[in-house]
Amino acid sequence: MARIELKNLRKEWGGAIAVAGIDLAIEDGAFVAVLGPSGCGKSTTLMMLAGIYRPTSGDITFDGARVNDVEARGRNVGIVFQSYALYPNMTVLENVMFPLRFKTIERTEAERRSREVATLVRIDGLLDRRPGQLSGGQQQRVALARALVKRPHLLLLDEPLSNLDAGLRLTMRTEIRRIQRELGVTTILVTHDQVEATTMADRVVVMNSGRVEQQGTAEDLYERPATLFVASFVGSPPINLFDGHAAGGMLSVNEARLPLADPVQGAVVLGLRPESLRVNGSGDSGRTISRISAVEPMGREVLYTADSAFGVIRFLEAGAEPRHRESDDVPLGFPPASALLFDKDSGRRLDARVAA
Amino acid sequence: MAADNLVAARGAQARPDWPALARRAWRRRFTGQSMLLAFLVVVSAPIVLPYFWMVVIAFTARTGGVASDVLWTACAVIAPAVLIYSIVHMSVPAPRLRLAAGLVLLAIAGALLAALIGERLHLDNFRFLTRANFVEEIRSKATSGAQFPSVWNAFFNSLLLAVSQTVIILTVSSLAGYYISRFAFRGRSVFLQGMLVLHAFPAMTLIIPIFLMLHWIGLLDTIVGVMLVLAAIELPFYVFVMKGFFDGVPWDIEMSAMTDGATRRQAFRLVVLPQVRFGLIAVAVFAFIRAWEEYIFVRTFLIENKNWVMSLYLFWVSDDVMGVDYGIVAAVAVFYVLPSFLLYVFCQKYLTQMTIGGIKG
Amino acid sequence: MPVFARAQLRRQRINFALFLGPALVLLFLFFVAPIVIDLFLAFTDMGRTLAVGKFTLENFERMFTRDTRLLGALGVTFIFVLATLGIFNVTFALLLALVTTAVPPRLGAFFRAVWLLPRMSPSVVYALLWLWVADPNERGLLNQIVMHVFDMPPIDLRNNHPLLVIILANGFIGASLGMLIFTSAIRSIPEHLFHAARVDGAGSLAIVRYITLPALRWPISYMTIHQTLSLLVSFEYILLITGGGPFYDTTVFSLYAYRRAFESGEYAYGAALSLILVVIGVLAALALWRLMDMKQLLQQPRIEVH
Ligand SMILES: Nc1ncnc2c1ncn2[C@@H]1O[C@H](COP(=O)(O)OP(=O)(O)OP(=O)(O)O)[C@@H](O)[C@H]1O
Ligand SMILES: [Mg+2]
Repeated sequence: MARIELKNLRKEWGGAIAVAGIDLAIEDGAFVAVLGPSGCGKSTTLMMLAGIYRPTSGDITFDGARVNDVEARGRNVGIVFQSYALYPNMTVLENVMFPLRFKTIERTEAERRSREVATLVRIDGLLDRRPGQLSGGQQQRVALARALVKRPHLLLLDEPLSNLDAGLRLTMRTEIRRIQRELGVTTILVTHDQVEATTMADRVVVMNSGRVEQQGTAEDLYERPATLFVASFVGSPPINLFDGHAAGGMLSVNEARLPLADPVQGAVVLGLRPESLRVNGSGDSGRTISRISAVEPMGREVLYTADSAFGVIRFLEAGAEPRHRESDDVPLGFPPASALLFDKDSGRRLDARVAA
Repeated sequence: MAADNLVAARGAQARPDWPALARRAWRRRFTGQSMLLAFLVVVSAPIVLPYFWMVVIAFTARTGGVASDVLWTACAVIAPAVLIYSIVHMSVPAPRLRLAAGLVLLAIAGALLAALIGERLHLDNFRFLTRANFVEEIRSKATSGAQFPSVWNAFFNSLLLAVSQTVIILTVSSLAGYYISRFAFRGRSVFLQGMLVLHAFPAMTLIIPIFLMLHWIGLLDTIVGVMLVLAAIELPFYVFVMKGFFDGVPWDIEMSAMTDGATRRQAFRLVVLPQVRFGLIAVAVFAFIRAWEEYIFVRTFLIENKNWVMSLYLFWVSDDVMGVDYGIVAAVAVFYVLPSFLLYVFCQKYLTQMTIGGIKG
Repeated sequence: MPVFARAQLRRQRINFALFLGPALVLLFLFFVAPIVIDLFLAFTDMGRTLAVGKFTLENFERMFTRDTRLLGALGVTFIFVLATLGIFNVTFALLLALVTTAVPPRLGAFFRAVWLLPRMSPSVVYALLWLWVADPNERGLLNQIVMHVFDMPPIDLRNNHPLLVIILANGFIGASLGMLIFTSAIRSIPEHLFHAARVDGAGSLAIVRYITLPALRWPISYMTIHQTLSLLVSFEYILLITGGGPFYDTTVFSLYAYRRAFESGEYAYGAALSLILVVIGVLAALALWRLMDMKQLLQQPRIEVH
C-alpha cells in the first residue's frame, strides 16, 4: 500500500520528449485511470513508476520517500503489460509463481499463494498450460495474477483490456474493479478508452503530449473540462466546436450572435455537447432554425447532423425512432449553462457563460 | 475468501527502507557494469595487442631485431589515456565537454608518443612497395628462394580475383535469391532444401576433386579458375542471405509495379533491387573481404609466382625472411590487411544486417 | 492451347533459365561434379602422375587396417574439435553475446567489432600474428610478458603445446560467429519480457537463466552442429601456424587428407579420406536442416504469373 507522488517528472529519449513534466498525487488505495491519445507518454510514465525507465528529471515518491534510484526489483510493483509479457517457456503456474522465486518463501507456500491468486482471477483450471495455449482474456488474467501474487504496493495496468472483445472487456472491467476493491491496492490503469477510464476509476487523469491536461472525476472532465483538448477528447460523439469572436458583450459565431453573461473580449471557441442540444427546448439560448442533413440511428438514441447558423452541428436525441427526417428544418437550441467557452489562444476554458 | 488472506497478509508487511534500497541498487549497478567492462577489456586485450604489435613492428623494426620497448612505451601512454577518457565519458554527460576532453587527451597522448618514440618510427620497411628484389638484398642471392614478383603484381591479382568474384556472387546470388524468394515453380521446395543442405556443407572437403577438375579443364594455375571455384562454393550461403533480404521486401510494391504494366523482370530490376541495396552492399563487402583473404584454395590452385595473390606473396615473404627481418614481413602484412580493414570499418553497419535467416526461435 | 497460356509457359522457362540458370551451372560444376569425382577417385590408385591405373578397394583397406597415423589424426581431431567448440565457439560466444548486450549498446558494438577483427583479417596475417605471439625466443609477445612480468623462462608454445596453440587460434576466430548469432537472437527476445522479469524481482543472473537462455535453445543447437562441422573440415589456420606439426601432432583429419594428397601426392587416398568427411558433412547438414524454420523458409510466393 502506498501513496504515490510524481513531481515534475520528465523523460526524454535522446532529445525527443516523451513525458514533459508531470505532477500527480495518488492516495493510498485509490484507483486512478490515465487517459490519453496514442503516444502521449502513458506507458513511459508507468515504466518510470515500475523502475524500468529512469526519469530524466523530477521525482517519484512512495509514501513520501524518493524511489528514483530504487531498481524495479526493489519497488514491489505489480504490472500488467500492454502485451501481457508472459514467459513463453513456463506454464501458467510457473508464470504466476515466478515473482515469488525471488522472495524468501518456501516452495509449498509459494505454490499455495499462487493457486490462491489464480482462483481469485479465475484461471485455476489452466495452471498446466503454456501461454501459447491461452486465449487473450486468459493470458490477461494470468498476467494479472502474476502482478498480484507478490502483494504489490502499487498495481499498474497498461491497457490491459485493449486486446479483448467487447463482451469479455465488460466482464474484465468489473472483475478488475472487484479485485482492486477487495485488495485495496493502489492502482493505476492506462487506457485510451474513455468509457473504461470513467467506469472503472475513482479519478481520471487526462494526458496529452507528455503533460497532464486535467485530473478529476468523470463528471469534472465532462462538465468542467479545463482545456479544449479535454473537452474534445472526453465525450462521445465528440463536442461541437466553433470559432467565434467576443466583443461588447456579444459572441459572434459565423452568422449567429449570442449574448454573454460575463465580459469577454477576443477570439473564443464555443463548445456545444451533442447531448445538450435540444429541439424546441424551453428557455434555450441561441435558438436557430437548422436544416437536418443526416440521420444516424444509434440504438437507444439518434445522432443528427444539421446545418445551423453556427455551422455544421451534430446533436443527439433519446429514443430509438428518429423524430426528424433529412431536410427537415428544426428550431435547435441549448440550455445556456451547458455552453462551454474557451480562450482560443491558450485553449483554456473561460469562466464566462452564455446569457439566457 | 482468498482476497481476505491477501489483505491480512499485507498488514504484516513492513514498510521498505527506500533509501537503503536505492543505495543498494546503485552499488549493484556500479559493480555489475564495472565487472562486465573489466571482463570485456581483459578478454579483448589478447586480440588488440597482437594487431598493435604488428603495426609497431612494421614501423619501427630494423633488420635483425624488433623494438619491444616501443610497444610497451606506447601501451603505457595509450592505456591510461583510454582509461581517463572512459572515466570522463562515464561521469560527464555533456557531449561538448566529452569531445573537448577527448581532444585534449588525444593531443597529450600524441605529444607524449611523439616525444618518447617519435624518432624510432621509420618507413624503411615499406621499401618492398618500390623494390622488387628486396628479398635478395636481405638474404644473399645464394640462399634466397624463388624469384619474387613485384608486390603490385600480387596486389592487382588479388584485386582482380576479389572484384570479379564479388561481381559473380552479387549477380548470381541476387538472381537466384530473388527467384526462390518470389517465384512459384515446380520443385521449388526440393531446390530450397537442397540449397539448405549445401549451405552448411563444407566445400573444403572437395578440394582434391576440384583440383583435379581444374587440371582437366585446363584452369589450374589461373586466376579465372580460382575465381569460379571461390564464387561457387560460397554461393549457397549468399543465395540464402539474398533470399532473406528479398523476403523482407513487401509484396505490395511489386504488385503495384505489375499493375502499372511492368513485367516481373522489369519489376525486379526497377523496383525490387533498389529496395535491397543495403543487402547488396553487405553481400558485396563480405564477398570481397572473403576473396581478399583466401589462402587454402589459392595456395593449392595457383602455382607460378606471376599468379600469386597477396596472401601467397605475404606467405612467401614471411617464409623467406621471417627469421631475419620481422619489419618487412609486418609491413607487407599491414599493407595487405589495410583494404579489408578499411572496408570492414566503414561498412560495418551494412554487415550487421546480414542474417542466415530462418533459425527457429 | 490458348495463346496467353503458351506465352506464359515460355516466359516461365526463360525466367527459370535467366534467374536460376547461372547458380545451377556453378553449383553443378563445383558441388555436384566434385562429389561424384571424389566418389570415383576414392576407388582408384591415382598418384603423383594424376593418371588412373586401376580401380581398387585398397584405399579403404589401408585406411581401416594399415594406417596407424590415421588413428593419431582422429585423436587430435577429437580433442581439437571438442575443446575449441566447448570452450570457445559455443560457451565463450554465448558469454560474449550476453556481456556485450548487457553493457551500453555502443560499447557492446565496439567489443563485438574487436572480436570480429580476426575473422575479417586475412588468414595469413592472422596466422602471422600467432607466430609473433608464440615466438619461442624473447621477441615473442607472450614471452615478453612471461619473462618480464612473471620473471619466468621463455616458453615455446608451438613446440611444447601445439594443440593449445591451434585451439586458441581457432577459438578466437570461432567465437565471433556464435557471438553474432546469439546477439541477434537475444535482440529478438521481446523487450517487455526482460521488463516483466525485472519487475518480478529477478536479478541479472536470474534473467539470463529464466528469460535469455530458454530463448536461445535453438540457436545454440544450430551453432553447435554448424561449428562442429566447420571445425571438422577447416585446417587453414593449423596449416599456417603449425603446418600440422611438430611431426603429426596437430594434423587433424581434414589436414591429414590434404597432406596425403598434396604433400605425398597420394590423390586417391586423400580422396578416400575426404569421402568420409563428405559423408559426415552431408549428415550434419541434414541435421542442421531440421533446425531451420522450414515453414518460414518455404512460404509460398504470392504472385503467380511469371
Ligand atoms: N524506448 C523508446 N525510445 C524512444 N522513444 C520512445 C521509447 N518509448 C517511447 N518512446 C516515445 O515516447 C512517446 C511516448 O510513448 P508511450 O509509449 O509512453 O506512449 P503511450 O501513451 O503509451 O501510447 P500508446 O497508447 O500507443 O501505448 C512516443 O512518442 C514514443 O515514440
Ligand atoms: Mg502504451
